[in-house]
Amino acid sequence: MAVSRTHPVLIAGKYLALLGYLSFALFPLYWLLKIALTPDQLVYSEGTSLWPSSVTLSNFSEVLFQTDFLSYFGNSLTVSLGTAALTTLIAAGAGYAFSRFHFAGKRLLIVVMLVTQMFPLLMIIAPIYKIISSLGMLNSLTSLIVVYTAFNIPFATFLMQSFFDGIPKDLEEAAMMDGCSRFQALRKVVFPLTLPGLGATLGFVFTAAWSELLFALMLISKNDAMTFPVGLLTFVSKFSVDWGQMMAAGVLALVPSCLFFIFIQRYLVQGLTSGAVKG
Amino acid sequence: MTYLKTCASAVALLVATTASADTTLKLVEVITSPERTEVLQSLVDGYEAKNPGVTVEIVSLPWGQAFEKLATMVAGGDIPDVVEMPDTWQALYAGSGQLASLKDHVAGWDNGGTLTEKTVAMGSQAGDLYMIPYGFYLRAMFYNKKLLAEAGVDAPPATMAEFMDASAKVSELDGKSGYCLRGGPGGTNGWIMLAATMNGTNDFFTPDGKSRINEPGSVEGIQFMMDMYQKGYAPKDSVNWGFNEIVAGFYSGTCAFLDQDPDALIAISERMPAEDFAVIPMPVGPSGKSFPTIGFAGWSIFDSTEHEDEAWDLVATLSSPKANAKWAQRVGVIPIHKGADQDPHFQTEQFKGWFDTLNGAQYEPTTMPTHLEQWGYFASTVLLETSQEALLGQRSAQDVADEWADLLTDEYSKWKASQ
Amino acid sequence: MGRFANRRILEMESKPVSLSLTAKRLPGTSRTGHSLYWRYMVEPFLYLSPAILLIVSVLLMPLIIGISYSFQSIELLRPFNTGWVGFENFAKLWSDRKFWLALDNTFWWTFWSISFQFLLGLGLALLLNTQFYGKKLFQALVFLPWAVPTFLSALTWAWLFNPVIGPLPHWLTALGILSEPYNIMGDPDLALWGPIVANVWFGVPFFAITLLAALQSIPGELFEAAEIDGASAWQIFSKITLPFLAPMIAITVMLRTIWIANFADLIYVMTGGGPANSTQIVSSYIFTTAFRKLDFGYASAIAVALLGILLVYAVIVLWIRKKLVKI
Repeated sequence: MAVSRTHPVLIAGKYLALLGYLSFALFPLYWLLKIALTPDQLVYSEGTSLWPSSVTLSNFSEVLFQTDFLSYFGNSLTVSLGTAALTTLIAAGAGYAFSRFHFAGKRLLIVVMLVTQMFPLLMIIAPIYKIISSLGMLNSLTSLIVVYTAFNIPFATFLMQSFFDGIPKDLEEAAMMDGCSRFQALRKVVFPLTLPGLGATLGFVFTAAWSELLFALMLISKNDAMTFPVGLLTFVSKFSVDWGQMMAAGVLALVPSCLFFIFIQRYLVQGLTSGAVKG
Repeated sequence: MTYLKTCASAVALLVATTASADTTLKLVEVITSPERTEVLQSLVDGYEAKNPGVTVEIVSLPWGQAFEKLATMVAGGDIPDVVEMPDTWQALYAGSGQLASLKDHVAGWDNGGTLTEKTVAMGSQAGDLYMIPYGFYLRAMFYNKKLLAEAGVDAPPATMAEFMDASAKVSELDGKSGYCLRGGPGGTNGWIMLAATMNGTNDFFTPDGKSRINEPGSVEGIQFMMDMYQKGYAPKDSVNWGFNEIVAGFYSGTCAFLDQDPDALIAISERMPAEDFAVIPMPVGPSGKSFPTIGFAGWSIFDSTEHEDEAWDLVATLSSPKANAKWAQRVGVIPIHKGADQDPHFQTEQFKGWFDTLNGAQYEPTTMPTHLEQWGYFASTVLLETSQEALLGQRSAQDVADEWADLLTDEYSKWKASQ
Repeated sequence: MGRFANRRILEMESKPVSLSLTAKRLPGTSRTGHSLYWRYMVEPFLYLSPAILLIVSVLLMPLIIGISYSFQSIELLRPFNTGWVGFENFAKLWSDRKFWLALDNTFWWTFWSISFQFLLGLGLALLLNTQFYGKKLFQALVFLPWAVPTFLSALTWAWLFNPVIGPLPHWLTALGILSEPYNIMGDPDLALWGPIVANVWFGVPFFAITLLAALQSIPGELFEAAEIDGASAWQIFSKITLPFLAPMIAITVMLRTIWIANFADLIYVMTGGGPANSTQIVSSYIFTTAFRKLDFGYASAIAVALLGILLVYAVIVLWIRKKLVKI
């Protein structure tokens, strides 16, 4: 006779495991916050204590008011939102095509998309830099948006394809029987159903674009066009690292991407579920 | 429609003419910190006030990525007018013909006469005067007075043997070590210094171009560093320590000895009370001499600039005696004009270590062979990786010394051939 | 296809194609009024074109240029010093000790990261597939690591492992895993574990999300039937859950492996590839060669080698997946 699923030991074990996972996930974030709240002189001497003896908000205020952090933050926001929107739109189209059509070159396209994931991005920095500088688009946030969109399209397409796979083809076929073109059917019938999928892709791409460092570093040199990952690096100078401020900036920067992600993670799971088995 | 068009073109013309009257110079700083940018901005403001019609755009690259960022910018055509040029990069950029020669400009410069000979010599390493140094980084030994007293060391070490001894004693204290060893990035100077000190000479090459780094004396110096680590006189993770870690190790009281330049003083005096530490010249070797390394950075103009005269004016302003003294104080370098060391700022007990070094005959400052094109790569990658292998006991001192000698001899002959 | 189809094709080609086609059809005409040609060759590409355009111009072309670098000798700062050298870079690669060391490190880095990420992610997904108090909040919080920028998490973990300022070495010593609190990232044998732990922390949510989605799509009746038949938990897991998960597992493991093999950020920030190259993986080696030695030709050769290896890997995984699905 199998052990009943409601056996108290099992339940205790389950909650213990849950607690374990939660602490593992949150502990580093807690530590980040702790350092951000520690005054400079205590950072090293009280490094290992779980909570500093005196808490200060000066790191946060310095970061917000004495550095260019707000402009970095704004730039990052622009780039990430732009990338998320553009990528989701394009990937929706591509994902739909993969989901609904069989066409010549489908295999090839999938392979190409896969291959683009395998090459370390830093290898194409030099060619991309040359292309972008010859277009005169260096130091422009638009160039970042375009580049990031291209990076994220393969995986976003995979996500969107999954979501579309979960919506039966009959829906738009029925609409088309009634006289709509495919595109109209897409807009009127299928689109509302894919909102969770779109939301999930938006969030996923936003998070990826938010933390991208290498290309932002190389393509942007103007101080006022920098995104926040690059800005964070300016806290690391040759002489010392302003740890308190850097972590404070980090905490502030975490807020949008964490919020976004918390919001959409439900949809990610939901959306992937329907199409998941097809893989 | 035509009316609109005419208006538009008139406006465009207006904008164009005013725009062409305004020159913009791009100034790239690579050793970036918030204070430095602040000082730089104030110096630049002074320049802009005296030169209406010229605006200077400061681009600040984070130091950790500055090398590749600048290289990418230059390779991609986004070339600045004026750049902060560290000594280790000088040969690379000058050697590939990217920098403008400053000799004629300096000849016609009022303040050119008060530049110390050292300044001119350093700036001319690549064959012609390609940069105006803004100051010198000279190596000296910081030591923690409290730790030494606790460990029973009466006087700070004057010789290498005393240095190892004192480190051994401090390492016996619980949780403390003797030497803040820089085994990670940027540690080249330490190895070169110890090799030279034990070898009794700071020549990098024999007259016929062979590297001296694998001579028996030099190998002894390399072994000295390895012994410090392997005998436990330096913290176990110092094998991967970079600048931040050694300075933090020093001011947190984890290790008692730190060899560094005046710029470390800024970070340390902010975090340690002045009576807890002092600075002495580097300990001497068996020959009675020591060879502290001296490095520098300065301002260069890229050859592709379209406004060479304005760029020179900017460099001249930044390098004028008053501006340079202000800059040197704030960033922690030894200034470039004669008589600057009489400034009260440099007369403190902490600075004593460096000025004693400059004035003592037994301390011979050593310059790195930055005229070798691949020196930067050697220092940042080859030496780093092989020295770590040596510290960890994976290779012998002679073995790494031989590898270094081969590479350096090779580079030297390449350089000689291009002279 | 016949004359009829040909005529339709001619008609299609002569009309400007726009996305908002409102072809007025007589009621009763089937939607297959569009010819096969349209449906197979043109319409999909309308939806695909922006994606294809971007990928080709931003990724493919630079990729081809990048690959071409591997056959040249390029010094970044001497743009006129290039020259085609054929396979010379690859010959150098074959005898480069550091490359093989990096390859070895890449293998272990990828292997341990994926194993732990997958196992922990699977465990988390299984837990999330049950009911418990505060599940919604828990789920939102436990996925947070994925949203943290990697270099920030690298810095934080570097702190946590530093005995002067972090608690981990002390806890590890108390647990008896370390003999005394020291920074494992200074020890060449243990250094890679620092970034691996950071990578696991970061990657568990990815697996948890995708596997949870796959779990939730398993029809409930199967579980009920199995319980009625008296199957043990293990039997249910191995005979129902796993086979259903297999396709998803294959895809996610393959994707993540490829990403991780290329992912040098954590290593670069936490150990810089040291000490003594013990944590240098192929992509960080490419970085040092390209941006410190400024030798783009050689760096591209290394990248091409990595690309080749990953291609082979992907093919193998897809082949295995095919066989699994058949079973």
